[in-house]
Amino acid sequence: MPKKIKNKKNFFTFQDVVFNLQKYWGKYGCVILQPYDLEVGAGTFHPATTLRSLGPKPWKAAYVQPSRRPTDGRYGKNPNRLQHYYQFQVIIKPSPKNIKQVYLKSLSSIGIIAKDHDIRFVEDDWESPTLGAAGLGWEVWCDGMEITQFTYFQKMTGIECKPISVELTYGLERICMFVQQKKNIFDIDWNSEGVKYKDVYFQSEKEFSAYNFDHANTDFLLKNFEMAESECKSLLEKKLSLPAYDQCLKASHIFNLLDSRGVISVAERTGYINRIRELAKGSGSIWLDNQIEK
Amino acid sequence: MSELLIELFSEEIPSNLQINARKQLENLLKQNLSSSNLEPKTLEIFSTPTRLAIFITGLPKIIKIPSTEVKGPKVGVSEDVINNYAKSKNLNISDLLEKKTEKGNFYFAKIKGREINTENELAKLIPLALKDISWKKSMKWSDFELNWGRPLISILAIFNEKLLKFKFAHLETVNFTMLETEDQIKQIKVKSFYDYTNLLRKNEIILDHNERSEYILKKIISICKKKSCKETVNQSLLTEVSNLVDKPNIITATFDKSYLELPKEIIRSTLQTHQRYFTLVDLKNRMLNEFIIVANNKDEKKLIKTGNERVVEARLSDANFFWNRDKSYNLIKQINKLKKIVFYENLGTVYDKTQRLRKMAYFISDQLNINKEKLEIASSVSKSDLASDLVSEFPELQGEMGKYFALNQGFEQDVSNAISEHYLPIGNSSIIPKKPISYSLSILDKLDNLVGFYLINEKPTSSKDPFALRRSAIGLLRTIIENNLVIKISDLIDYFIRIYLDQGVKEKNTQSKKELINFLRERMKNILKEKRIRTDIIEASISSHNNDNFLELYKKTLIMNKFISKELGKNAVSTYKRASNILEQERLISKDGPDAVLFKEEEEKELFDRINIIRKAFTVKEDRKNYEEHLKLLSDTKLSTDKFFEKVKVNDDNNDIKNNRLELLQILCSTFNTFVDFSKLEGS
Repeated sequence: MPKKIKNKKNFFTFQDVVFNLQKYWGKYGCVILQPYDLEVGAGTFHPATTLRSLGPKPWKAAYVQPSRRPTDGRYGKNPNRLQHYYQFQVIIKPSPKNIKQVYLKSLSSIGIIAKDHDIRFVEDDWESPTLGAAGLGWEVWCDGMEITQFTYFQKMTGIECKPISVELTYGLERICMFVQQKKNIFDIDWNSEGVKYKDVYFQSEKEFSAYNFDHANTDFLLKNFEMAESECKSLLEKKLSLPAYDQCLKASHIFNLLDSRGVISVAERTGYINRIRELAKGSGSIWLDNQIEK
Repeated sequence: MSELLIELFSEEIPSNLQINARKQLENLLKQNLSSSNLEPKTLEIFSTPTRLAIFITGLPKIIKIPSTEVKGPKVGVSEDVINNYAKSKNLNISDLLEKKTEKGNFYFAKIKGREINTENELAKLIPLALKDISWKKSMKWSDFELNWGRPLISILAIFNEKLLKFKFAHLETVNFTMLETEDQIKQIKVKSFYDYTNLLRKNEIILDHNERSEYILKKIISICKKKSCKETVNQSLLTEVSNLVDKPNIITATFDKSYLELPKEIIRSTLQTHQRYFTLVDLKNRMLNEFIIVANNKDEKKLIKTGNERVVEARLSDANFFWNRDKSYNLIKQINKLKKIVFYENLGTVYDKTQRLRKMAYFISDQLNINKEKLEIASSVSKSDLASDLVSEFPELQGEMGKYFALNQGFEQDVSNAISEHYLPIGNSSIIPKKPISYSLSILDKLDNLVGFYLINEKPTSSKDPFALRRSAIGLLRTIIENNLVIKISDLIDYFIRIYLDQGVKEKNTQSKKELINFLRERMKNILKEKRIRTDIIEASISSHNNDNFLELYKKTLIMNKFISKELGKNAVSTYKRASNILEQERLISKDGPDAVLFKEEEEKELFDRINIIRKAFTVKEDRKNYEEHLKLLSDTKLSTDKFFEKVKVNDDNNDIKNNRLELLQILCSTFNTFVDFSKLEGS
């Protein structure tokens, strides 16, 4: 029988952290969105960030994004690594003047009181070759632990950003390990009814690691990549940026799977990344064109 | 005394950008002030992660510009020119003066003395200095146009207790500073520098980066003393950490003793490179399971200490997991995994590189007479650790990890050492590899980089050297010189090029060998120049050098430098000059050297014999050559040459005999020139 956690004060479960961040950023004025319904490598790939960071229109949004990095799978055996994990993503355009304080306040909503900790902004510039994106910023450290990525986008899908968006990416598992003082991801309390992270995701980690590393059918994936690419291109010709971008996301995830299956040689790697970037670039510029036409 | 305080308040600026901005601001301000006739008494720049502060004292209220006379066009030029000149000075032609100078009569404009309000001038020149900072990396934010290291939030500017008004990009100066407390930001009025630093100090912020660094250092040293540890502090880490905090709080923390079984390098990388903590070693060089955190906050609830300890625990346990697994992966079997790691685009994979090194091991071990099998093994596994998870987690431990893996798997000590030592030397003052397997592999690895990048035409330019080829070349030459190695570089380059081409690399530069040798020669020149050797001696040695044996070049240059002003050198130079002067006057169409049958005088024969002795001495095996002896032989020809010139008249009536004598002098000079090119030496 799972043990209930009895009304511990200042104890935040995994789902509390999600709820509280949603509430906090909802109050701030962000549109609270739901995760994008395709496999992505990070919250940045959600069109609400990638595409919405383009062009002049102001935009504020926050959402949880399940993210997949097939090569990070460890069959559930490593206490710090997962092939599927959660990010909480905030995107604000243009970046507000007091964003640092707004962010620090958000931490107190999830049990991290700035005055008791050593919160540090450590240089970390970000680049995504597949998205044709780059930004400057920091990783935010709390007592030596990285808990958030804080980035000012300078370029997205190959297009200079104007105005500049700020992106905050909270690593939810990391933060929960920190606030719950756990040494193993799988020991995180998901809710206060005794359900642990392990109960929700351990089997999935084991099975997907096996799929990612050993069993994904690579012929099938290679074909799928080609199909997604050609579909994306034909949708771009029809000026349908969002459906085209979906295909770009699919191609990107398939590439990650192929990579973790070890079938992409070094020489081919750059080629694949360039192909995905072209799809992202096409989607970005058409999305922007369609915005202006309205 | 007058004072000027400017504070640029921003979000956290990275350490290296702070350092750069401080330096540039200081220079730019000095320049701009002095071109406005302002000489400050003091000018200081301070920084914290969020503050870049300028403090200047001793500026006058008024800048007095004395009257001057400015020289204009020559008297007699067209009226237009004179008119334009007068206009440019806001004068009429009639206002111009005519004055006599050494070069004739000229018009002069008399410029009246003026007084400028310093405040107005500062409001003009400071934004210009700010604009001229060139950030190594800069960014935009929100909807502003300004590029800065990180978002600039406000500019405090106070001149003599009053707001100094100016605009910079979208910002207007203010008379308050910003204070961040927890998640709030407050504006606080500031009247003077005293006010300002007091306010900061009250909030435990140390503005002066040097003071912070000294404070941290003092605390660390006192901890070292207490714990009987070595009082050595990593200087670059100290600088970085000082720029990462503004209210340093030094905390000692611990990790589980069992992790001390990990290689030291892993612990050090985890703690220093990744987490910016200071490690402690005792007097016997053993690492302690204690470390020093420089936090940026008080730790009243001890949460900071335990939080950091948990992070270290997680990182070390991760490292431990990888270490235990990776060390058992057979290095030979790992070689195949290197096929997935690119060496450089168009230069194949790291696997290809190890194959080249292995093939080259065959050639170089012949040249250097070292154990071929060992060098081949070392070359083959030299990069295997790159395929391990540990090195992908800790890239700075490449080589070090390979060495530990190798030792763990029973590879011989010198082979194992070579895996880490072949990356040496790392910087200009770093040690070089000293053991045969290590230095041979190091030479091959560096030459492989050089040849590869030259082949695909990725050569360094005067401003850019992205693959650190200069460092590779200098490292290569130092390794050769300091180990006293006779190496036929030219041959090695040929072999490397052949192997690269065999592997299918496309040659984009057909001059690569020639250009690479030139590049090496230039680096050699630099090495010699740093030893303060006369440039003409360097030129003389390089000019006669066969581009193969750089050790010979080095040694000869040093010998020449040592003896150039002594009897030995002077005799050699004067003998050469005497002979070459005659050859310069007479045009000789040289054939095959002198013909002994045509010698008439004893002195001719004697000189010829001497030359032959020298030529023979020059052809002994490289490793037996004694360059001082060689110079002595050259120097000793003075006697025979003097006698020759005394007794023998070169200009004989018989043309054959005359030419034969010229041939003799010719061969004398060319013999000298095979040592160093004496014609390049300045007569002494």
